[in-house]
Parts: sequence; structure tokens; C-alpha cells
Amino acid sequence: MTFRMTRAAALLAGAAMMATTPLAAAVKDAAVPAATPAAPAAPPMAGAGPTDADLMSDASTPGDILTYGMGPKAQRYSTITQINDTNVARLVPAFSASLGGEKQRGQESQPIVYDGTIYVTGSYSRLFAFDAKTGEEKWQYDARLPDGIMPCCDVVNRGAAIYGDKIIFATLDAHMVALNRNTGKVIWNKTLQDYAAGYSNTAAPIIVKGKVIYGNSGGEFGVIGKVEARDVNTGELVWSRPTIEGNMGSLNGKDSTITGKTNASWQGDQYKTGGGAPWLGGTYDPDSNLLFFGTGNPAPWNSHLRPGDNLYTSSTLAINADTGEIKWHYQYTPHDGWDFDGVNEFIPFDAKIGGKMMKLGAQANRNGYFFVLDRTTGKFISANPFVSKTTWAKGYTKAGRPIFDDTSRPGPPSTEKGTTVFSAPAFLGAKNWMPMAYSGQTGMFYVPSNEWGMDIWNEPIAYKKGAAYLGAGFTIKPLYPDHIGVLRAIDPATGRIAWEYNNKAPLWGGVLATAGNLVFTGTPEGYLKAFDAKTGKELWKFNTGSGVVGSPVTWTQDGEQFVAVMSGWGGAVPLWGGEVAKAVQHINQGGALWVFKLPKS
Amino acid sequence: MRPSRRAFLGGALASAALVPFGTAAAAPIDKIKANGVLRVAVYRDFEPWSWKRDGKIVGIDAEIAEAIAKKLGVRAEPIDFLADEGVSDDLRNMVWRGSLVGGTVCDVMMHVPVDRAFALANDRAVIGAPYYREGFQMACGLDTDCEVAPAAFKGMRLVAELDSIPDFYLSGSFGGVLRPDVKHLTSGQAAIDAVKTGDADVAMASRAQIEHALHGGSKTVKVRKGPLPALPSAGWDIGVAVKDDSRDLADALDTMIAGFRTDGTLDAIFARYGVSPKMPISI
Repeated sequence: MTFRMTRAAALLAGAAMMATTPLAAAVKDAAVPAATPAAPAAPPMAGAGPTDADLMSDASTPGDILTYGMGPKAQRYSTITQINDTNVARLVPAFSASLGGEKQRGQESQPIVYDGTIYVTGSYSRLFAFDAKTGEEKWQYDARLPDGIMPCCDVVNRGAAIYGDKIIFATLDAHMVALNRNTGKVIWNKTLQDYAAGYSNTAAPIIVKGKVIYGNSGGEFGVIGKVEARDVNTGELVWSRPTIEGNMGSLNGKDSTITGKTNASWQGDQYKTGGGAPWLGGTYDPDSNLLFFGTGNPAPWNSHLRPGDNLYTSSTLAINADTGEIKWHYQYTPHDGWDFDGVNEFIPFDAKIGGKMMKLGAQANRNGYFFVLDRTTGKFISANPFVSKTTWAKGYTKAGRPIFDDTSRPGPPSTEKGTTVFSAPAFLGAKNWMPMAYSGQTGMFYVPSNEWGMDIWNEPIAYKKGAAYLGAGFTIKPLYPDHIGVLRAIDPATGRIAWEYNNKAPLWGGVLATAGNLVFTGTPEGYLKAFDAKTGKELWKFNTGSGVVGSPVTWTQDGEQFVAVMSGWGGAVPLWGGEVAKAVQHINQGGALWVFKLPKS
Repeated sequence: MRPSRRAFLGGALASAALVPFGTAAAAPIDKIKANGVLRVAVYRDFEPWSWKRDGKIVGIDAEIAEAIAKKLGVRAEPIDFLADEGVSDDLRNMVWRGSLVGGTVCDVMMHVPVDRAFALANDRAVIGAPYYREGFQMACGLDTDCEVAPAAFKGMRLVAELDSIPDFYLSGSFGGVLRPDVKHLTSGQAAIDAVKTGDADVAMASRAQIEHALHGGSKTVKVRKGPLPALPSAGWDIGVAVKDDSRDLADALDTMIAGFRTDGTLDAIFARYGVSPKMPISI
């Protein structure tokens, strides 16, 4: 794919040269010295809105939601207790706001709440600003998407980032757009990659020290993954870090360092097209100044064509936020052969392991294991299955290597159909994109998971770009007749599952935990539900009229606690057929923000 | 990367379709004639079949599309598109559903494999009117002995299109001994061009790509005459596809292409690109 990559690079350079007018508009307000030591090129806007320091303390400011994940660590935990296990049963809608139009596909967004406004992104790369008291629309931005974009799995967007006078989000045609958060007018708009080469962006960016940081997509097309940082005020590229070893990074317009060691875990020139796209975004630990980005699975898909561990695919990378240098990596699935990408959120938390307080991080991986690592070094602490069936491995060694079951690895490409391998979890993962939550009150992780497997076989009669091709065939299958989705409470110190809640359809939405002993999550059947965080008992549910695949949030406003979630069925699940389709085929589409509170009397 | 998973998706959507087709709709040929335009989907960056030269889409597929439009008495409007993971996806995007973001479907898609099993698995499209028999070939620089057993190419500079059968053949066959020597390029055309310019010793690509690259005579490249042992494809026929509600158009295309085969139209088009008009076997 060298040609396509070159074309994308040329476009980036072109866009950079043209970005003069919006930049001038962005800096018309007088800049005030930063509260935190930001990069000199990126002073936060004067009194115009959230600063770097505000973003870093988001988890402890209940009056707003400034970051994807409700804090840079993305624990999705609120300390607010007004709504709690004793009164949540009385929760009622405060208002609902429609995203309108015909564009009612998957709504996977998490709201941002600031200064009386709720900002949500919608399907088809739209961004809405609603009055947080009434739900009345203030403005709407609709990215004009070109024909010929190729999002792999529905036209979703997962959320925006806020900073100063800007609200920023990525689009399906692989742009990053900064809007004035009061007017919705474009401040800057940068091409991240060439949509015509198959790139597309859906994740919420993270802002750290005046830089917008995001990962690219495009793992489906044999390109390489990159984590990149741009100046939040200008959109200019600051650093770029390829996720595949052997590729050169950049810092301030110059080559920086090569990722890993060339050809250490790849043969020939395969590292140039090795995949590993960090398409789901990242988390951040302010103490160590490390970003944690998960990487996608390797390319080509068939593992027999690329011997080696294929670093750093299916891994978490700890990256210095200032320079883009990799401090450590941990690879969850070396030499992946099942589409177990490692993009899931890595959530920093502190807990006692063997009686000793440690700085840790956890990830619930597509491959079915719940991982705990030392977040300062990447050292493996534990891996425990969080779904009922993991056929591909028998467990992990103490050093953190999976013990593969070779009989469950799909075979090399061939003209014979050959043996069908049954493998669990399925390629959509024991957990897909939907973010889990960590409760500082119970010390538990709340993980939305799915119980499914897949049959895989060699497909001798496939065609690609008009030519014969050796592919593979798949069918995804539920493991149980009565449920696919399971919400689980997991003790990270032991890997023990404290409780689980079964749901008929696959779970596809994010989770929220609160100090009111509550856990919230949505279901494709349309419900937002609240559970007792300690026991898993269902305490409340409300049907929003379409599937809930967004991430709920909570905040306080004028002394009252609010809970909000997006409703609108879609995402990757309805795109797949087979038996899974039966669990979701009657769900209607939608597109609305729902906001709840307790009645006043 | 995972073509048939999406191919499967296409099939699933097809079987889940609830709306009956062809009810009370005007005959597609009448609509095309009324509009005066035939919208034809062709692959992007796909020399010698369809690619942009000086801003215009040229190539064998583009010219056959023009000949079809001329016969219908309308103008051809070629739409070049990026290949998705598999041809099933391309049919879904370009012929029977359109992309998720609203692009309209085309009247005809060029360069669709004519294969019974493939057609059955993609029943929302009608596939037929074959106009070429494609296959893979190997070509070498003049200094390279092109007739040796492929494993003997070890240590030479080998080139193939990324994630194609030539890639799998060179990277995966013979115990993988050639894998470290394979350089991956974005197209078969780029692979054969690399041998032409001396940047590689051995290329594997489609017959049409190799013949086109040697069009007008090449002093630097020769074609392997012997067979490729254990090559997992004996060749395949290439035709066109239309939506399943356009059977009158499909029938007309069958007749038209058969006519082009006998009246010299196809021979002339293929000759302009240096490709020998290999007869499809599924006529």
C-alpha cells in the first residue's frame, strides 16, 4: 500500500499549507498564560472554556463532563450519590432531544457537558449542541461527507473533545474538525488521512497538554497504524508514532525514531503494511505522562503468511505524551490469527496486589481475557477469562505469554475448504469497542461482554478486485440460546467475577459506575438500566425507543443529579447475519439524547 | 484483508431483504434511454482495465462500457471506485444497495468474475456477458532464468500485489522460503513495472497486466513459459453485473458482448492495450 500511503501523506502536507485563515480566527482572543506547563505553541484560550488542568481534574468535578471516559483515565466513575440504590427506581426522563433527519443509524456517542450545554456527536459525523436544561438545540454541525467513504462498521461516532472555545471531533472521511463551541462554526479542519484510500475515523480524541491525540483507522486495508498528536489551537501535526516496528515516527516536522526494531518480529517488507490501527483512541495517566493506546490486529489476516509475533499489533502501547516515544508495550495476542485486535481501553487504577499498593492498568480484551498490568512498566500481573469460553488459548504463563491451542488456529490459505475451526470468542470479540467502568467505591470493573463463537474455514472461491483470491469464510454463533450479552463485575485483584447480568441481545454500549452503588448500561432492546453495583440486582430500567449503544454519563446541575445516554440502534452487530441477527432483527432505528433525573417531590 | 467475511455479510443482507423487487418498476433499459446516460462502475487504479490518464478514465473496461453505451444510444458515465474487501462487497456498494453514506448504484459494473458458485452467493446481482479469461503469470528480468522451480528464486527481488494470490503464492508456498524476498506493491501493474525498470527480478501478476506492460515490446522483461507448480488458480472468466431487477438489461448485455466478440469490437479494444483477447470458457 505504499502508493496509498504516499497519497495520504501528500494530502496531509497540502492541508497543512492551506491552514492560515482559520488559525487567525482561532487566536483572536488574547492568550493568557497556561495554568499548566503546556507546549509553548499551544497556549489555552483565555477564560474561554476548559483548560488542560480542567481536563485533568474532570473525574473530580461533578458539575461537568469534559472528557471521553469522564476523566483522562476513562474510569467512567462518578462520585455523585444523590441518585443511589435506594431511589434510582424513581428516575424519570427530564427531556429527550432528537437528532432528526433520516440519518438514524448507530449512536455510539458519549455526551460532553459544559457550561449549560450538552454536546453529542451523531451518526454520519454530525455534532449537536443542546441546552442542558431544556434539551433545545443550540446548533448543529453536519460534516459534508463525500461519496465513496468506506467505514467498515456502520457510520458511527463515539464522541467529542472540548478545550477552550473549541469542541473537536473526527469524521468518517478522516478529518479532525474543531468547531467554536458556542456557534458551531469551523475553527480548523484538517485532513488526517485520505478517505479515498479507505480511511475513516470514529473514536473520540483525547486532549493532553494542548495536543489533540488520536489513532488512525484503516486496519482493514493493509496499512499501518499510527498514533498522532496535533496542536489543539492550529490543528498542526506535532508528533506521529507508527504502531508497527520498523516504521519511522516524527516530532515537530522531523523524523524522530523508528518504532521497535526493524524485522525483529516481521519478515521481509511486511512491516510496511502490517495493520495495527489504534482506531479506538486512548487513555492517559497524568502522573507518568503516559498515553495508553491499544492497537489493532495484524495484516494480512491469515497468520500463516506472517510468521513472528508481529509487534506491536494487538497490544497496548504506553506513549510519552510530549514526544510520541514508546515507553513500554504489552502484546495481548502475539501472532494473532482470530481478529483479536487489542484496541480496547486500558484503564489506569490503583489497587493492592499481594498486600502491596500498586499503580495498575486493566484491559478487557477481545480475546476473552481480563488483563492487569503494572502501568509504569507494562509488566504482566494477571490475565483471567471474563467470558465462559476461550478456545484459542489454555491460559497465560507467568511471563504473560498466551498458551496457544494450536488446533484452534485457522489454517493457511488454500484451495481446499479444509477443516472448519470453531473458535470462541468470535471476531467481534468477548468485548468490542464499548467501554467498561471502574468504580472507586467497590474496586470492581464492570465489563460489557458477549458470549459468541465463530466457525472459520478456508474459502477457495473468493474474489477480490475482480481477481481470484484465497479467503476465509466465517459464521458467528451465539454460545447460549437465551442470551449473548453479559454485564460482569470483576475484581481486578483476583479476576473473580462477583456478579453477572445476562441480556438476550449482544451488549454494545458503554458502562457508567457511581458512588451511589450504581452501575448503568444500555441494551439493544432499548433500555437504559441501573444495577446494584455490589450485587448486580436490576434496580431500574427505561425504554428509550431504540437500541442503546452509547455510553451513559452523569453530572450535577443546579443541585440536581442528571444521567444522560444516547439512543439509536446500529454499530457492527446488525451488519452481521446468522443466528446473531435473530436476536436483533426487530430493533428499530433511532437517534435521540435522553436525559434523566429524580422527580422534585 | 478478510474478503469473505464481508462477502458473507452481503449474502446475509440479501436473504434478509423484505422488499420484493421488480414490482411495477419501469424497465431499466427504458429508464437508461430516457436519462441518456449509462452509469458504469469500474475499479479505480486498475491498469490496463480502468485507470485515470490525464484526468480521464481509460482502459479496456472503460472502452467496453463506451461500446455498450453507444449500442444503447446513450452516453457512458464511468464511475471509478475503490475496491472493498471482496467483489461481493463491491457488488453491494456499486450494483444493488449503494454505500451506507448514500452513493447511488450504477447501471452496470465491469470486471465481475463469472463463476456459478460466486453468482449463487451474490443473488442480488445478475452476473454474465463474459468478455475475457484471466489468469496469473510470471515475468522476469532478462538476466534472470524465469523457468526454474520457483523455490530457486530465493535471494532474488520478488514483487507482487499486496494480499493477492501472487502474494500468497510467493510468500506462502514452498515452505515460505521466498517470504523474506517478497516486496509488496499496490497493484500487479506496479509489480511488472518494477521488473521493467530493473527494480525487481521477478514479478507475478495477471496475464493482462503483464501483456499490457510488455505492449510495444520490452527489451528488459520476459514471460515465464512453463507452468507455475501448485498455483491455486486455473484462471477465471470476467464479465459484467447488473442489479437483479434489471434482467432486461442483463439479457441485452449478453447479446451485445457476444456481438462485440464476433464483430471485432473486443479484439480492437484489447489490441489497443496490448492484451490478447483470451476467450472466456463460460460462453
